Amino acid sequence: MPLIETVDLCQKYDRRDILKNINLRVERGEVFALIGPTGAGKTTLLRLLDLLEMPTSGKIYFDGRDATESKKVRFQMRRRMAFVTQKPMVFNLSIYDNIAYGLKWRGEKKGAIQTKVNGILEMIDLSAYQNRNARTLSGGEAQRVAIARAIVTEPEVLLLDEPTANLDPLSAAKVEELITGIIHQYRTTVVMATHDMSQGQRLAKRIGVLINGEIIQAGDPREVFTSPQSREVAEFVGVDNILDGVIVSQEGGMVAVKIGGNKKVEAISDYLAGEEVYLCIRPEEITLTLSETTSSARNLFIGQITRVVSAGPLSRIELDCGFRLVVLVTRRSAEELGLEKGKQVYATFKATGVHILRSN
Amino acid sequence: MSEIWQGLVKAVELIVTLDPEVMEIAGRSLVISVTATLLATIICLPLGSLIHFNRFIGKRTLINLIQTFYSIPTVVVGLLVFILFSRIGPFGVFNLMFTPTIMVIGQVILISPILLGLVITAFSGVDKAIPETAHSLGASDFQTVTLVLKEARFAVIAAVLLAFGRAISEVGLALMVGGNIKGFTRVFTTAISLETSKGDIELSIALGIILILIALIINIALNRLQQR
Amino acid sequence: MKRNILVAILAGLVVIGLLLSIAGCSPQRLRMATTTSLYDTGLWGYLEPMFEEKYDVEVDILSLGSGAAFEYGKRGDVDVLTIHDKANEENFVAEGYGVERVPFAYNYFLIVGPKDDPAGIRDLTPEDAFKKLFETKSGSFISRGDNSGTHSKEKAIWQAAGFDYATVQESDWAKFKDGGYKEAGAGMGQILMMANNERAYTLTDMGTYVSYKSKLELELEPIVKEGSILLNVYSVIAVNPEKVKGVKIDLANNLISFLTSPEIQELIGNYGVEEYGLQLFIPCAGAEPK
Repeated sequence: MPLIETVDLCQKYDRRDILKNINLRVERGEVFALIGPTGAGKTTLLRLLDLLEMPTSGKIYFDGRDATESKKVRFQMRRRMAFVTQKPMVFNLSIYDNIAYGLKWRGEKKGAIQTKVNGILEMIDLSAYQNRNARTLSGGEAQRVAIARAIVTEPEVLLLDEPTANLDPLSAAKVEELITGIIHQYRTTVVMATHDMSQGQRLAKRIGVLINGEIIQAGDPREVFTSPQSREVAEFVGVDNILDGVIVSQEGGMVAVKIGGNKKVEAISDYLAGEEVYLCIRPEEITLTLSETTSSARNLFIGQITRVVSAGPLSRIELDCGFRLVVLVTRRSAEELGLEKGKQVYATFKATGVHILRSN
Repeated sequence: MSEIWQGLVKAVELIVTLDPEVMEIAGRSLVISVTATLLATIICLPLGSLIHFNRFIGKRTLINLIQTFYSIPTVVVGLLVFILFSRIGPFGVFNLMFTPTIMVIGQVILISPILLGLVITAFSGVDKAIPETAHSLGASDFQTVTLVLKEARFAVIAAVLLAFGRAISEVGLALMVGGNIKGFTRVFTTAISLETSKGDIELSIALGIILILIALIINIALNRLQQR
Repeated sequence: MKRNILVAILAGLVVIGLLLSIAGCSPQRLRMATTTSLYDTGLWGYLEPMFEEKYDVEVDILSLGSGAAFEYGKRGDVDVLTIHDKANEENFVAEGYGVERVPFAYNYFLIVGPKDDPAGIRDLTPEDAFKKLFETKSGSFISRGDNSGTHSKEKAIWQAAGFDYATVQESDWAKFKDGGYKEAGAGMGQILMMANNERAYTLTDMGTYVSYKSKLELELEPIVKEGSILLNVYSVIAVNPEKVKGVKIDLANNLISFLTSPEIQELIGNYGVEEYGLQLFIPCAGAEPK
């Protein structure tokens, strides 16, 4: 039995549909990431899961029990969960008290509280500052306190709403490290919302993609990443190359797709000739060469570089092959090959690297 | 100018010599207004949190109504209290007319709207994530309200200070229901009013200066409290 | 949460209860409404401690205009009145609100004004003085305008001079921007200060005038001092417990006995003589003078 289950969950505000027919299952001990663009409804969904608000329609089951039963039941369930907001929200108390109050309110004894709080303080590396007022902390430190405060009561479910979205990269890394540590140590069920695809990939065992209030796809991160089930998901998970086309031939599981610029791409699919499709090719699956080569890759196109953007160790190269193609290579390679605007290059990619979806 | 200077001199003289009549007026003014403020706080803090933390029909209207009465004229409250507590009025049986008690009651009625309204505003200034978090951590309703109070303490103390200021500085109510009886219901404001009408400007200025001094001291003391 | 609100409200009620009980526990209190002119002479400041000690009672003295005094008496918010408004006092008793009208002292009203007497009314009779003021409009007059005893007396003089008070109130003289006839709605002391400032005439009782003259070095002088209509009788009236519930008739009666007792009558007669050189109050122990 899943720990959390929603059935046809809908939420409306002022007649606007925020969430539509959400059917979600989270198993005990699972780390589930809810990814999606800003405004998709992630916070709303998390707040519903935390039973902070009542849905317009649909059901939520916590540990098998209907959460809409009564206010008292909801309150009991909420006590078994903990929520960390996007904006670090700490009480106007010392760091120690921030973390300790939850235990105090639950009636724990002073000695037990001290042990637990000190342990957590070690974990978040703020023991030395325990008497400082939490409001004087930086965003990253405050968020660590908020997470510590959440986990010290040993909740069955930890809900994190974009915990690193408001933080600088260094703090974000520290917070992620903390979350990973918590997952390992406490084996808590975690539902985390993030708009950062790769963060979801790193931390979660299962991903749900929320776009415009609907869960378009849910599953293994690798699966979502490489086999997006819709155009919107593809766009969100970073498939930069989405090409519209029509299947012109189907032969034993292999298709040729005619795309813009009168070019043909070969891919693996069972779809029939005549079907309108679109192709997803990840930019890192494309290789660039300076001369025409013979390789096992089925697809080879000549094109001219229109744009080069380098960031860190990577370079993004945009090509015009009669259709637009985006390629990701290492900066070093880009430099060694002398890839710059205007240069003519060859782009190759395998038929197996092409993910094909029906247009509808 | 020289009048004010003379008033200052007289003020110092009255304070230093601990003039008994002035001390008595000061003591009474403070006791009445402090008691009224305390009572109003005891009523308005829980009431304010009840209103703020609950949703109900007419909540907006109620808050608007409270705000309307922020600056209700003191003589209007005085008239109301007079009508209610006069011997022939509904509460006449308590025989409270022209006593310090009725002045306290009147001041509580006078300052409650502003105290209530500002307490609600203070609570509103606290991010709702705070009580939500406290709740899920296991805080009871009372513990949650206490926490929110701690968060809003600056604004709440400011509200109490303002209410006290309004109480101790009003004259219309004190005059109407207190009667300015020497040795019994005379307070700073009614004394100043009387002395001025008798032409003893110097004494009025002196009393006024002492009143301002007291207000200043209380203000500083409460500010210290705020810092902690 | 709801339980704690209840606790808070209960606590509040307890505090109120305590306050109420404090009010009740104090020694017996007698509430007296007196006229502002009488209060401002300081006579009560002088007599109050003696009365309080003799009868072991606390006296709460409210200084009001006579109009307010009668109203508070009818409401039962005061137990005894000491005023100087014969006509209204007789009504008060006739209507059953007062037990009996007991005069205890008297003096005279004065028409005071600027030394140079711009309207030329010095030493006329009060009625002729008012007549001349109204007809020539050559001076200013400030009226109490507050239904006090003094105000009633002023109205009586206008009546005796042949003028309806309403006529005076609505005359051109009353509409002058500078000066003319003005109704101020304030106590006697304040009126004297105003008349002094604006060099106007006014009707005042002797007691207030004498004490303010020396205190404030007024430049006003008595212009009209004689006339039987100027007689100013102070009476004490106990509020009738049969008509008005809750008034303390015993304490009120104590006050009446006190004020009409020979020793106190003598003290009243001597009040202010040393300080001002004249007699402010002439005792009359219960009998109507002249």
